[in-house]
Amino acid sequence: MSIRVNPGFIKELTKYGAREWNACFHCGNCTAVCSLTERGILFPRKEIRAIQMGLTEKLASSPEPWLCYYCGDCSENCPRDANPGEIMMSLRRYLTSIYDWTGMAARLYKSYAAHLWFMIFLFLAVIAAFVVFSRIPDSPEVKLNTFAPVHIISLLDHILLIFLGSFLITNIINMYVKIIIKDKTVKIPVWLYFKEAWNAIFQFATQWNITKCQRNNWYWFGHWFLFTGYILMFVMVIFFLDWFQTEEIHPFYHPQRILGYYVTAGFLFATIYFMIGRYRKKKEIFKYSHHSDWIFVVLLFLLAFTGIFIHIFRVNGMALPTYYAYVLHLAVEVPMVVTFVAFSKWSHLAYRPLAIYFAHLKKSARALQEKNKIEFVTQ
Amino acid sequence: MSGKRLTGVYFAVYSNGSECEIDIDQLIEYTRQIPGIGIIWNGDLKQTMQADFIVDEIKKHNLDRIVLAGDEPGIVKPLFSKAMVLSGKNPEDIVLAGFNEYSIKSNKDLDRAKAIIYCAALGVPFENVALPSEAEVHTDTLVIGGGIAGIQASLEIANSDHKVYLVEKTGTIGGHMAMFDKTFPTLDCAACILTPKMVEVGQHTNIELMTYCEVIGVEGVPGNYKVRILKKARRVDLADCIGCGICSEKCPAKTVSEFDAGITLRTAIYIPFPQAVPNKYLIDAASCIYVQKGKCGVCVKVCPPNCINLDEKDQEVEINVGNIIVSTGFKVFDAKRVENLGYGKYPNVVTSLEFERLVNAAGPTEGNIKFRSKDKKENWIFSPESDEPKSVALIHCVGSRDENYNKYCSRVCCMYSLKLAHLVKEKIPEAEVYEYFIDMRAFGKGYEEFYERIKEEGVHIIRGRTAKIEERDDQLILRSEDILAGKLIEQKVDMAILAVGLEPREDAEELSKMLGIKQGEQGWFVEANSVDDTVGTFTGGITIAGVCQGPKDIPDAVAQGSAAASRVLQSIIKGKVKKSIKDISLEQIETKVNQYTNIMEGIS
Ligand SMILES: Cc1cc2nc3c(=O)[nH]c(=O)nc-3n(C[C@H](O)[C@H](O)[C@H](O)COP(=O)(O)OP(=O)(O)OC[C@H]3O[C@@H](n4cnc5c(N)ncnc54)[C@H](O)[C@@H]3O)c2cc1C
Ligand code: SF4
Ligand code: SF4
Ligand code: SF4
Ligand code: SF4
Repeated sequence: MSIRVNPGFIKELTKYGAREWNACFHCGNCTAVCSLTERGILFPRKEIRAIQMGLTEKLASSPEPWLCYYCGDCSENCPRDANPGEIMMSLRRYLTSIYDWTGMAARLYKSYAAHLWFMIFLFLAVIAAFVVFSRIPDSPEVKLNTFAPVHIISLLDHILLIFLGSFLITNIINMYVKIIIKDKTVKIPVWLYFKEAWNAIFQFATQWNITKCQRNNWYWFGHWFLFTGYILMFVMVIFFLDWFQTEEIHPFYHPQRILGYYVTAGFLFATIYFMIGRYRKKKEIFKYSHHSDWIFVVLLFLLAFTGIFIHIFRVNGMALPTYYAYVLHLAVEVPMVVTFVAFSKWSHLAYRPLAIYFAHLKKSARALQEKNKIEFVTQ
Repeated sequence: MSGKRLTGVYFAVYSNGSECEIDIDQLIEYTRQIPGIGIIWNGDLKQTMQADFIVDEIKKHNLDRIVLAGDEPGIVKPLFSKAMVLSGKNPEDIVLAGFNEYSIKSNKDLDRAKAIIYCAALGVPFENVALPSEAEVHTDTLVIGGGIAGIQASLEIANSDHKVYLVEKTGTIGGHMAMFDKTFPTLDCAACILTPKMVEVGQHTNIELMTYCEVIGVEGVPGNYKVRILKKARRVDLADCIGCGICSEKCPAKTVSEFDAGITLRTAIYIPFPQAVPNKYLIDAASCIYVQKGKCGVCVKVCPPNCINLDEKDQEVEINVGNIIVSTGFKVFDAKRVENLGYGKYPNVVTSLEFERLVNAAGPTEGNIKFRSKDKKENWIFSPESDEPKSVALIHCVGSRDENYNKYCSRVCCMYSLKLAHLVKEKIPEAEVYEYFIDMRAFGKGYEEFYERIKEEGVHIIRGRTAKIEERDDQLILRSEDILAGKLIEQKVDMAILAVGLEPREDAEELSKMLGIKQGEQGWFVEANSVDDTVGTFTGGITIAGVCQGPKDIPDAVAQGSAAASRVLQSIIKGKVKKSIKDISLEQIETKVNQYTNIMEGIS
């Protein structure tokens, strides 16, 4: 089998945020210090090697970058300040863009301006849509469902879901092809897929791996809070919008309000924690920020912020401010969903557990192959 | 000569990423008034500087020569060479005025920077005009630090019938080498080489050995220094002590032994080790109960020749010398700083220096390798009664080659680790020995062969840095990546030895200020030239030798000791010493250069 080398790869990867890729002298400290590596699943040094040599095919078939939660241990202990953690992060951005056959992810990741303009375009488009199609109800009371009827918003939600979902699913298929099918060094027996599945489900629900990096429990908490909040919001908005967006104002202990508060608290906690961290840059993981990180965090924050205002205005019966806040809320939400779900950060939510699944599949399959080989030799 | 040859001066300051402390504008101002300058470029251009741009400039300003000034101007030389060739000029006509080369680091050295630019601009080699004047030399020499380098230097000078004062901080000479059992790569017995030399120093009529002393002040000029020395109170009379050791047997005060790298205890009245030179006892004031609290005095009562004076005070003496050799050596890296390796937390994670004492026949276990275990008083000690470890790991580069600690390679730890691996195999043949390295630096004569030999002895030598050591159920577990096999390793071992690197001594800065010599970025003393003068300094009459100049092994330290001695002997024999080039003023250099160019023009 021949190995193809892409000498221009480094230039490409620096656009995704990789910096000190050449400082590494391959001591293996990072792999050994990382709490998430195990026998048969090695990173980040191996990936850095592949980067230095321009082995793009090998990288495309590696699930390992997704196993890293960027705790920063490796970067803190790297004797060459090569920042392996950040290199893994940039690899994840790169992988997202090669799974994405539309080329959208690559464009957004590589250019700050493109990313920003696209967001602004969607933001204005949403506002324009309201200006054109929506009428402010003639009533001093808040009539949100007249201003933005639930069934229409819900319909649009579903259209968006199908649209983005099909992108995400095809991207996932692409990922599967790249990691499993194209890697000819390993054959995976069908029964293994079932055996390893439970682990993947567990990982998805708990994001548990992060806690293995003991020192970062707040980081895990922030991550998990944000993640559950997002999933809840997603489910509510897509499937139960008519229950969530009501005219009637429920008492504060009503599940509808409690859920809303939970989601908002999760968003605020995570974004403020990340923003302060990224601003201070004290912790290793926050030292470098790619533009997509900033856009993501700021949007999340705005989402929570506008959500709070809708709530305050609505509860106090302030009709006009409620409508305006609602428009802004959607104008933030739509760009966030469109760019991040299929092409950026949120898609990692799908890629990561799948990659863990694939990594273990490959590891077990390799172990089987090794065993068979030895048996073959001893026969 | 037809027409004036015009010169372009390019200023490039990189300073290795750290800020440049030299005022370039002042230098440019100065350069403007040097005759024959066609154009001056400021290094800000360095990003945009292209060969064709320089070609245009050369043509526009009609340049024949180029001077590249800056800390490491050689970096841009290829670009200028290309431009010179492209514009039909001689690429040989590029002259470097390198600041680093002449140790120009800050505005204090501005005059020297001007001087080298002046020389370069007029095409006169700096060395030809910066001739330091000479001074009468005092024939006595001071050697500071009695390690192997200082011993070697002292003996060479003393054997040429000149007087040497050897000042040593501790109670004995010998330095680190005295602590070792064997030396790489020949596995010679260290004491067999060192002890005769130490005894020779002790008995030499030309050497005035001043142990337990420190240099506290240096005044004067090259060739004639006045040195103040603090004689710390030994409280035991050097002349009368017969070295019987009865005092130590009875002394109730205990403290850790420096000589045993902290793995054993000694009494307050002690001799550093049995072969110490001078072979006399001394009292360590910090741990003596009498000195601290005013009562005890047991040693005085039992001393047969009655030579202990507990109330002795520190004294100051002054000596005159012509030359000074600095050979103060190093200290080892503090392994506690690397928290992941668990030194100080797990009793059987030890430093290489501790292990040197453990395998030494004169160590606490008579050279048998044993676990560190708890004694009756719950103290962790190495006792001859404990068990032998069955597996030992050696971890390279602890504190060295690491951006978080010291960036440089400590140079001896690869080889001494191989030596220690051999010693483990020799003493416990069935033990498994694992050695974790990043790169194996076996650079000296016979070293690569030594490495091969150790591999053949069955030591597992693994490429991959150990990232962490943990203890589970009294068992150490090392985590590292085996780079060559592409595997993650979790290795259980009984004992781990950390190959700690070498670092400058704590008092190196103080000493360098006192002597007027420089310290480099990492703290080692700076040599006059890293290629052809590794023992000289920029201060006339002061030379450096051994590890205080930078990490090195014993043969190299000895070689430098001899080199420094030969430098000193040169000046003694001539009766003159070169003054420091720091003493030459800019005007003097300019005048010399002008005379020089006049002569050259006369010839052509
Ligand atoms: C664990 C270990 C094992 C090693 N094994 C080997 C080996 O097998 N083979 C080999 O070739 N090399 C070995 N080395 C390297 C070796 O130790 C050095 O090359 C050698 O000791 C250097 O000698 P030195 O005289 O320059 O310094 P040192 O041995 O450090 O001597 C310096 C002396 O100066 C004294 N001093 C310091 N400051 C002052 C002051 N201000 N005033 C007065 N006196 C002062 C000190 O007390 C000391 O006596 C090993 C090093 C280590 C750490
Ligand atoms: S990234 Fe750093 S820790 Fe990892 S192998 Fe390279 S140099 Fe070692
Ligand atoms: S950032 Fe943390 S999880 Fe990621 S590779 Fe480094 S040590 Fe492992
Ligand atoms: S006086 Fe000091 S040195 Fe002498 S026996 Fe007492 S404690 Fe030891
Ligand atoms: S000599 Fe070897 S162990 Fe010591 S710092 Fe250099 S490479 Fe590391």
